[in-house]
Amino acid sequence: MSGLIYGFDEKKTVTIVDKTDPTVSVRIWFKAGAMDDPAGKEGLANLTAQMLTEGGTAKKTYEQVIDNLYPMAAYYAANASMEMTVFYGRVHKDNLEDYLAMFFEQLLTPGFRDEDFARIKQNNLNYLKTTLKYSNDEELGKAVLYNNIFNNTPYGHIVSGTISGLDKITLNDVKEFYTKYFNKNNFVLGIGGDIDDKLVQRVWEKLNQLPAGVENNFKDFPTPKISGKNVTIIEKKASATAISIGFPVSFLRGSRDWYALAIANSYLGEHRNSSSHLYQVIREQRGLNYGDYSYIENFPNGGRLQLPPQNVARNKQIFEIWIRPVPNETRHFSLRAALRELKILVDNGLTKDQFELTRKFLKNYVLNFATTTNERVAYALDDKFYNISPGHLQNFREMMDELTLEAVNAAIKKHLQYDNMEIAFITQDANGLKDALVKDTVSPISYSTPKSMEILEEDKSIISFPVKIKAENIKIKKVEELFN
Amino acid sequence: MLKNLLTLLLLFISMSTSYTKDYKFFPFKTHEVVLENGFKAILIPVGNSGLVSYYSVVRTGSRDEWEEGKSGFAHFFEHMMFRGTDRFPGNVYDSIITSIGANANAYTSDDLTVYHLNFASDNLALVMDLESDRFRNLKYSKEQFQTESGAVYGEYRKGRTSPWSVAVEELREKAFDKHTYKHTTIGFERDIKDMPNLYDYSVSFYNRYYRPSNVTLVVVGDFDVEKTKELVTKYYTPWKPGYTEPKIEKEPAQTAPRFRQVNYDGKTLPLVIVGFKTDEFRAKDKNFVSTISFADLAFGETSDIYKKLVLNEQKVQFISANPGMNRDPYMFEIYTMIKDEKDIDYVTGEINKVIETYKSTKVEQDKLERLKKQKKYSFLMALDSPDAVASMLPQYITLANNIDVIDDLTGTMMNLSPDDIQKAVKLYFTENNRNTVVLKGTK
Repeated sequence: MSGLIYGFDEKKTVTIVDKTDPTVSVRIWFKAGAMDDPAGKEGLANLTAQMLTEGGTAKKTYEQVIDNLYPMAAYYAANASMEMTVFYGRVHKDNLEDYLAMFFEQLLTPGFRDEDFARIKQNNLNYLKTTLKYSNDEELGKAVLYNNIFNNTPYGHIVSGTISGLDKITLNDVKEFYTKYFNKNNFVLGIGGDIDDKLVQRVWEKLNQLPAGVENNFKDFPTPKISGKNVTIIEKKASATAISIGFPVSFLRGSRDWYALAIANSYLGEHRNSSSHLYQVIREQRGLNYGDYSYIENFPNGGRLQLPPQNVARNKQIFEIWIRPVPNETRHFSLRAALRELKILVDNGLTKDQFELTRKFLKNYVLNFATTTNERVAYALDDKFYNISPGHLQNFREMMDELTLEAVNAAIKKHLQYDNMEIAFITQDANGLKDALVKDTVSPISYSTPKSMEILEEDKSIISFPVKIKAENIKIKKVEELFN
Repeated sequence: MLKNLLTLLLLFISMSTSYTKDYKFFPFKTHEVVLENGFKAILIPVGNSGLVSYYSVVRTGSRDEWEEGKSGFAHFFEHMMFRGTDRFPGNVYDSIITSIGANANAYTSDDLTVYHLNFASDNLALVMDLESDRFRNLKYSKEQFQTESGAVYGEYRKGRTSPWSVAVEELREKAFDKHTYKHTTIGFERDIKDMPNLYDYSVSFYNRYYRPSNVTLVVVGDFDVEKTKELVTKYYTPWKPGYTEPKIEKEPAQTAPRFRQVNYDGKTLPLVIVGFKTDEFRAKDKNFVSTISFADLAFGETSDIYKKLVLNEQKVQFISANPGMNRDPYMFEIYTMIKDEKDIDYVTGEINKVIETYKSTKVEQDKLERLKKQKKYSFLMALDSPDAVASMLPQYITLANNIDVIDDLTGTMMNLSPDDIQKAVKLYFTENNRNTVVLKGTK
């Protein structure tokens, strides 16, 4: 792209030109997110994003907006995460003009109507009060884990916020948040498809009509230190137990260590993939649940998505293990099995064979990460966030050829460990679990189906694998107490 | 004698057919290969991404679980398909799939089971060798079989924390007396618990349903058509026919409205699902196709009831409808989540009012034309990667055993008139066809 006009900033623009794509994708990343929620108004960034695209404009009610977009089958939406809010959409090029008119009317002149506000706020409250607490224990476990790890930091609440925070948010707060962060110095534009310079310039002209303001750069804060193993047991009636485990890490996408640990992590727990070693041990060999995975980057919507999401980049990441619901009687055993595998990985590193297989896997697997123009635009924005050139996915493939087993094992030793972590359980009979964890009692396992000698032999070391948790490090909370 | 044998051999080869098709609405040229054993492959070259999507569509799903105590088996069997063969035992299969970095998974629903992989085009021959082998020669031990049943039970437990799965299970149980749509795809808990005891049954399930005439392969992406046709012939021709039809009982006509209240053991906003019995999928039948348009017109985002209950009165968290496209007659379902228990009767009353209005008043022509435009663009926009194209096809393949039906369906839909919609609503949305489930959580 060339041909600078007033206001067109190439450093703040990414383009993916694909003349064979009959659609155009636009993604505008605003540098604001849940970490910018004012204290006591947790959930504001998320609510503001929703008000922008699930409500009316100054001229049109939300009904009219939907009616306008409907025949184009086009959409736009805004998604807030911890540090990013992305206003994005896609349209068939036949309808580009009508669509862009709506897109910018919405972004530049939002309606901020009382009735939209009441509806969206109520939906968000219902999500925290009912859906998250009572109908998805896996998401609940992850939310508790993140909130505990980042407690008392700007990351200390999930993107959806808190019940009291949402209660206190007024429509005026939304307007202020919008004016402060959705300004013309605080975005990066991504656009792709069958596009040309003229279109990009026209989009820029529109974006220059955003209010004046300043760029909201990341304000760093000390990464939380965790000492020992801290357990939170959320008590609720549950026929199965969801478990999430994690601790903060200091490496980010783009660094050599990140790619080295991507190999280690893929071996240990590739997301929703049977190549995951945790999956093999807990699900495949023992049939205790539906899957077991690990992460080096935040992965929201893991229950729904097969491949990593885009535009949820953040400067503070955790290493995370996700154990899908296991029968209550095997919860202690399952925790032990996962922590034992983590210990084996940290102590021994990968073998030559594991390393070779995993890097080969990843080199091809990442080809699946961005198969559409829209995804490529999103990845390009994330590259801007992490300051990666020429691009993460290209570097990823190159690093799979470059990295050595020694480099991977050194990165494991440097960044992963098994002594200090937060553990969240969603389960019933919390006191029974606490007692077992404190006493480190043996957790015998019996199967309703026959198992091989090899597995039974391994079980002997799992059932008494020391987890060592002090009574003062175990908190029990009722589910009703969460997100208040 | 030798000459006769040669003729026979030539005849045998020529019995596999191959042809190319262009469509009016579906924007890609397709190439089809049909082998003598009934196996069909649909090849669709798209773009130059270096990637291929490979979908094996088995026209068997929870619908085919007609024997007592076997609900959930099609889905369970999907899990067993990853346990390997003599040539490629499960761990070898896994490590090959891993080494080529394929994104592989599977799913099961009422009428089908789909196994899909996305991978770099260079690996197409290898994948075809692997996939055809597991469809022809699957082998697993009793022990593996029993272990996998634990994972399936885990999947059931994971899903069970959502009140929607409970509501849907209850609706089907109430609405169907004879047909296998009485159970959901995951199956009844009592049957899932019994799965470890059904090893012998699983072998018979494989032998009856995993047969060439019951499976269609879809390959979409960046590949050479002629070479791929040769690969299909090479790898799938040795597969022996032997498909056995399931003995599914026909559902008798419903003679009175049905209602069930469910007390959910957990907190949730109240849920209501209303299901009206309709027909099996019929792409050229204006009555049936009208129900698909009706779902959008009457209950979609631009519908009057959406504006009233979601946006203006804000009495429901959302409302939507699913027309239900199944091989056998199923239901048109309307779902809603209500904010306050005291509004349940009011909301169900509003749903009935909408239906009555569509019976008495014809939809405006302009509204219908806007819907047609919407359908056209949502279809075109959904085709943005090889996987997106491939993933759209299994549903149609299972319904009609071909993809020509996409054009048939689109053609019918584009020709619907306000009269057609009205006629269909009068036909299907009767008191006697109605099934309602109301689910309430604990206080």
